Amino acid sequence: MDWAVLSVELTACAWILVLLIADLAMPTARERPLWIIALGGIAACAIALWRAPTSGSFQGLVVADAFGATVKGLLLLTAGVVILMTRAAQRQLPSNLGAFFLLLFTALLGMLVLAAIGDLLMLFLGLELLTFSLYIMAAYLTTDRRAIEAGMKYLILGSVSSGFLVFGIALLYGFAGSTHFSVLRAALASGPVPLTAQAGFLLILAGLGFKVAAVPFHLWVPDVYEGAPTPVVALLSVGSKMAGVVALARVLDEVFLPLEPMWGELLAVLSAATMCYGNLAAIPQTNIKRLLGYSSIGHAGYLLMGLSAGPSGLPAVGYYLLAYLLSNLTAFLVVLVVAEALGSDALEDYRGLSQRSGFVAAALFIALLSLAGVPPLAGFVGKLFVLLAAVESQRLWLVAIGAVNVAISLYYYLMVVKRMYLERPRAGGAIRVAPLTAALLGLLVLGILVIGVVQEPFLRHFAAALRL
Amino acid sequence: VKEYYIFYLLLITGVFGVFLSLDLFFFYFFYEMAVIPMYPLIGIWGSDVKEAGEVRFTKEYATMKLTIYLTLGAVVALIGLLWLYVASGANSFDIPALQRHFDAAPLDPSLQRWIFPLLAVGFGVIAPIWPLHSWSPIGHAAAPSAVSMLHAGVLMKLGSYAIIRVAMGLLPAGAQAWLPWLAALCVMNIIYGGFVAMAQKDLKLIIGYSSSSHMGYVLLGIACLTPLALNGAVLLMFAHGLMTALAFALVGHVYDETHTRYLPDLGGLAHQAPFIATCGVIAAMASSGLPGFANFVAELLIFIGGWERYPVPVICGVFGVVITAVYMLRLVRGAFFGPPKPAFAHAQDARSAFARLPYVVLVAVLLVVGCWPQPLIRLIDASARPLIERIAR
Repeated sequence: MDWAVLSVELTACAWILVLLIADLAMPTARERPLWIIALGGIAACAIALWRAPTSGSFQGLVVADAFGATVKGLLLLTAGVVILMTRAAQRQLPSNLGAFFLLLFTALLGMLVLAAIGDLLMLFLGLELLTFSLYIMAAYLTTDRRAIEAGMKYLILGSVSSGFLVFGIALLYGFAGSTHFSVLRAALASGPVPLTAQAGFLLILAGLGFKVAAVPFHLWVPDVYEGAPTPVVALLSVGSKMAGVVALARVLDEVFLPLEPMWGELLAVLSAATMCYGNLAAIPQTNIKRLLGYSSIGHAGYLLMGLSAGPSGLPAVGYYLLAYLLSNLTAFLVVLVVAEALGSDALEDYRGLSQRSGFVAAALFIALLSLAGVPPLAGFVGKLFVLLAAVESQRLWLVAIGAVNVAISLYYYLMVVKRMYLERPRAGGAIRVAPLTAALLGLLVLGILVIGVVQEPFLRHFAAALRL
Repeated sequence: VKEYYIFYLLLITGVFGVFLSLDLFFFYFFYEMAVIPMYPLIGIWGSDVKEAGEVRFTKEYATMKLTIYLTLGAVVALIGLLWLYVASGANSFDIPALQRHFDAAPLDPSLQRWIFPLLAVGFGVIAPIWPLHSWSPIGHAAAPSAVSMLHAGVLMKLGSYAIIRVAMGLLPAGAQAWLPWLAALCVMNIIYGGFVAMAQKDLKLIIGYSSSSHMGYVLLGIACLTPLALNGAVLLMFAHGLMTALAFALVGHVYDETHTRYLPDLGGLAHQAPFIATCGVIAAMASSGLPGFANFVAELLIFIGGWERYPVPVICGVFGVVITAVYMLRLVRGAFFGPPKPAFAHAQDARSAFARLPYVVLVAVLLVVGCWPQPLIRLIDASARPLIERIAR
């Protein structure tokens, strides 16, 4: 047994215990340096990742490869940013930060497992670990009605989709007699695929579609985004989606590759529906978190577009995820800062933000433009590569829909920009940003710019990680 | 104000980037980059368009319309570019490399006929082709004068430049199949744009519609596919850039002094501002294509070069010159001549030499190129002729 493959996951496990002890041992004031311990955990995981092997597997359950390692790095980055975000969230996360960091690490553990699955059972385990942590985190403010509603909705819809997933796994087990990816793939490639196995595939797709918030499994998104604390939403929209997409990519390209003609078309249709729904429904929103929720549905559509191109689309998906990570985290950090200062997520309160804090408004401006896909920002390159992958797979109709959606999304992102820059603030008062938050915001914006301008090393890294 | 210059420089970066790039990726990259700064530039520092004291449309409306139109155009062009890239099989975005590749292995003509309209319409939005032009006059009208000058003078030329460089340069068979349709559309540009300009009462809207009318000549010159007409089209891009920048600068001065651009309110400014009025008359003469100005040379080349190929559009285009004269003279008369109005008694002329310099430079270049166009045309011809020969082959 090759325990080294599991080193990152084991480190995260160990840090859960460290946090538990630290939480018990420290006095219960909010200013406790728990976040430093949590950040130390991320650093420990990062060191473990750096030293971890990039090949081999743990009994076929968890595999180690360069792609998985890259994704794990991005997941750790996300978790680190979320931990730093909690520093700014005095109002949204007033107490019990110890339990919060604990849940963050269990969610992180689930995501890390999802990035390296080699077996359907591990897929289920990772997914459940992640979603269960997120159920609790979404309803973290037990005194807030909207947060409770968010957690409840997420729990019910999430349980249904988990049911789909288990049922699908069961059907596939019945077909192949194993849940190992390699065994399943060999069975699928060797002969005609019975209807039960196809149904199993569809059910798994539904379960993962819930995680990446693809239409028609998106119903939970806007309410959860609106109700949950902003750091949780950031984790949900970036980390959880990334883990879902990577797990989906692994399942599609390592198990169901023989069925590609079938799911390629299916994913393309889902992608088109997801993009159109997410972007059109975002237009009338009046709450920035709901707006970003619908926009994240739209981005799920682009990610599915990249996945529908098969294995050759994966570098584009990787690049898109990287761009989405930086842009969305920047946007949510600004949302958090504004909500802490004004106590509101309503778009109305973003009026004249540029006059109250030029830096914060500029950061949101850049993040939104990057999400819309405007050069020279990261999102543009991500979208370009994804569209290119779709052209290469001969789906011009999908490219046309994706391209038109760029313009639609630009419209509602610019409506936010319009509020920030073109309108007068209703109440005065500058918004102050803590140095730590400002530094984090600056670094994220810098990342958006760097990834937008210097594409080659990143793309080459993804292509090399996928051995293309 | 610091932000204004940041966005302005970004806009200029994008524009120069497009003209400099020989690579489809960077072409599109800079093209989009030139579009987006327009949004804050117009939205924050622009002005609502008022007629008789009532707001006809707000700057927010104008800038959103402009951004959405241009982005939609850009993404349509992007579909074409990506399709071209994949269909070529050259695995390169490099334009010269693609040209060499297509010389060796021409792209299937039926595929070219599919891709060409995507590029032509996508880039044509910014050109602007009728009926996709409606963003342009209102965008000009709402923008601050410096942005209008750059926008009408340079940014709009990105569209026709892109059609010449990318669409025609890489898809000769597609160009041959579709350019007659373009010729028909640009007649609509010239005539319709001209008539609409006649009906306007806001100075900037008049010049905005006149720009879309003049860009019709440029597109006509492109559509003719003769070396002479293409030379004329490129020269007109240059000449119109100068002329329209001059006109917007003058309107900007008038607006700064009188705080109105509404034609019925204006009048008699020649008494207070003789220098500006003189420049206004010169701009009107250049715009209507009087001999001696660069516009005359360019339009003449287009008409002569296009006569063999499309006599009817050329006749319509010549008629368009008359329309131009009508609305430009109406503008000059309404703004500068007539009895002096007491409300504008405080209006100032451009007094110092420094303030007059931009106008003098623009007028001087228009005149020099109009009287001695040879060096410039030789320069243009050197790259235009091979392009036409490639298409004719």
